Amino acid sequence: KMCSAVGACLNHSIFRVHAAGEHAALHRQRSLPHRPPVIPLVARMADQNTSGTPAMTEREASRLDKFKQLLAGPNTDLEELRKLSWSGIPRQVRPITWKLLSGYLPANAERRESVLQRKRQEYFGFIQQYYDSRNDEHHQDTYRQIHIDIPRTNPLIPLFQQASVQEIFERILFIWAIRHPASGYVQGINDLVTPFFVVYVFEYIEEEVENFDVSSLQEEALRNIEADSFWCMSKLLDGIQDNYTFAQPGIQKKVKALEELVSRIDESVHRHMHHYEVEYLQFAFRWMNNLLMRELPLRCTIRLWDTYQAEPEGFSHFHLYVCAAFLVRWRKEILEERDFQGLMILLQNLPTMHWGNEEVSVLLAEAYRLKFAFADAPNHYKR
Amino acid sequence: MQNNHHKERLYKILVIGDLGVGKTSIIKRYVHHNFSPNYRATIGVDFALKVLNWDQETVRLQLWDIAGQERFGNMTRVYYREAMGAFIVFDVTRPASFEAVTKWKEDLDSKLTLANGKNVATVLLANKCDQGRDVLTNNGIKMEQFCLENGFVGWYETSAKENINIDEAANCLVKHIIANENDMLQSEVLDTISPQLEKDKGGTCSSCFRSQ
Repeated sequence: KMCSAVGACLNHSIFRVHAAGEHAALHRQRSLPHRPPVIPLVARMADQNTSGTPAMTEREASRLDKFKQLLAGPNTDLEELRKLSWSGIPRQVRPITWKLLSGYLPANAERRESVLQRKRQEYFGFIQQYYDSRNDEHHQDTYRQIHIDIPRTNPLIPLFQQASVQEIFERILFIWAIRHPASGYVQGINDLVTPFFVVYVFEYIEEEVENFDVSSLQEEALRNIEADSFWCMSKLLDGIQDNYTFAQPGIQKKVKALEELVSRIDESVHRHMHHYEVEYLQFAFRWMNNLLMRELPLRCTIRLWDTYQAEPEGFSHFHLYVCAAFLVRWRKEILEERDFQGLMILLQNLPTMHWGNEEVSVLLAEAYRLKFAFADAPNHYKR
Repeated sequence: MQNNHHKERLYKILVIGDLGVGKTSIIKRYVHHNFSPNYRATIGVDFALKVLNWDQETVRLQLWDIAGQERFGNMTRVYYREAMGAFIVFDVTRPASFEAVTKWKEDLDSKLTLANGKNVATVLLANKCDQGRDVLTNNGIKMEQFCLENGFVGWYETSAKENINIDEAANCLVKHIIANENDMLQSEVLDTISPQLEKDKGGTCSSCFRSQ
């Protein structure tokens, strides 16, 4: 649309607006009474840290350069890309980087265009072949559940209230569900499409995505976003499928592992919860089922997923350590609660509304430390 | 969980029913006195607390809002444990959600009984009554008869949006829970008054509610 210099400049001004907005949000949050609202706002996707740094720092600019160099070659070194991505991916290169790290795109640059074309065609082939069956008797329950859940996926973000966006989500989820009959549609999977969709929309626009009107996109762009979101979500779910099969054994196992892990890293928190008869399943089921998406603002989930895609088995294994670090992060608040009710209400409404990149980075560093310290300990949870 | 000899009572109450019938909205209305069309689907279980004054006593209700899909996930057994009462909710505009009511009731009764072997008090809620009453009028079901046959202690047409009948339904449930509890206490007292009769059955633990 515009020359790249203007584009970069535009980006900077967006940066500033976001940072100011963040700041105001932080103020509002602080002036509120002690308890956070029961439903945490997901909104505010600005990509910034919360300290309100105005423009890109030198360090950030040099990181972006490194990404660009790495991505420019005829063969991307995925190992290097992982290393670089672990501590966060600049938003300008996030779409391509996510596609590479998830294995959706090949490292070989020449092959990428044809792979994209083939996969997008394949997806729309599924739509043609299967989507009409959503009203058939054996599929209508699945479709009905998806149809009820879509309008209430990210209900507070205008982007997701647009009919064409909701239809995209319905198609993605329905096709995935009927192609995976061992799990089908499980509530929570709808949330997992969101980060991909937001990041891939960002490939085509420069303005803020939250209030973006998708009808201003070319039809083809929207179709590409849909197909790419479908495939990347499928890749993600392939790695955690036992989270969603009957009785959700993957989640049961991980919640047990979390309990075991916390009992080792913070005995007083563990004993405190045990004393008041709080069971990990009562709060951590959602942490596993929705990959902490319900506990964090969407911008933090996107940052978290940078690392999950960079870390080997990030979604299926490293997430456990992140959950442990997340729980222990609230040890002071937890230990202050003196009954079951107070603990449950705290644990289901943790005050993360103002969180940004900084908080997520601290969390990830702690999770990494835990993984290192406890992965090989005797009797400890192993994959 | 609750001690009947104190002036404070604590009850765990389940809120179950198919997805999207308005369970979360009912609880938010009851506990926080507001309504929003923007609640996200509940995952696993959500917890809320309501404090009531009841005949000069304090009654605390732990409300367990269980995800509508959970009946298929085999997790409900864990969530049901130690509950004293339940609401089963359906959406009056969606017949399928009413058909699921008996399935939820069976799931509940098969996994949870009181110490005296009885089923827990359960109230049926026909929610979203502000949007019509198709399900109630179209299929010729007599709700009183339905409740009797299926072991509900009562039913209410409710609207979380318009705040219709939520307090009334809760009071009805609490009344039945307290009655059940007094029943169990009564039999406990009888047990301890005549310990000899119980001797050969083994165990005369006075804190045990089980009336055998």
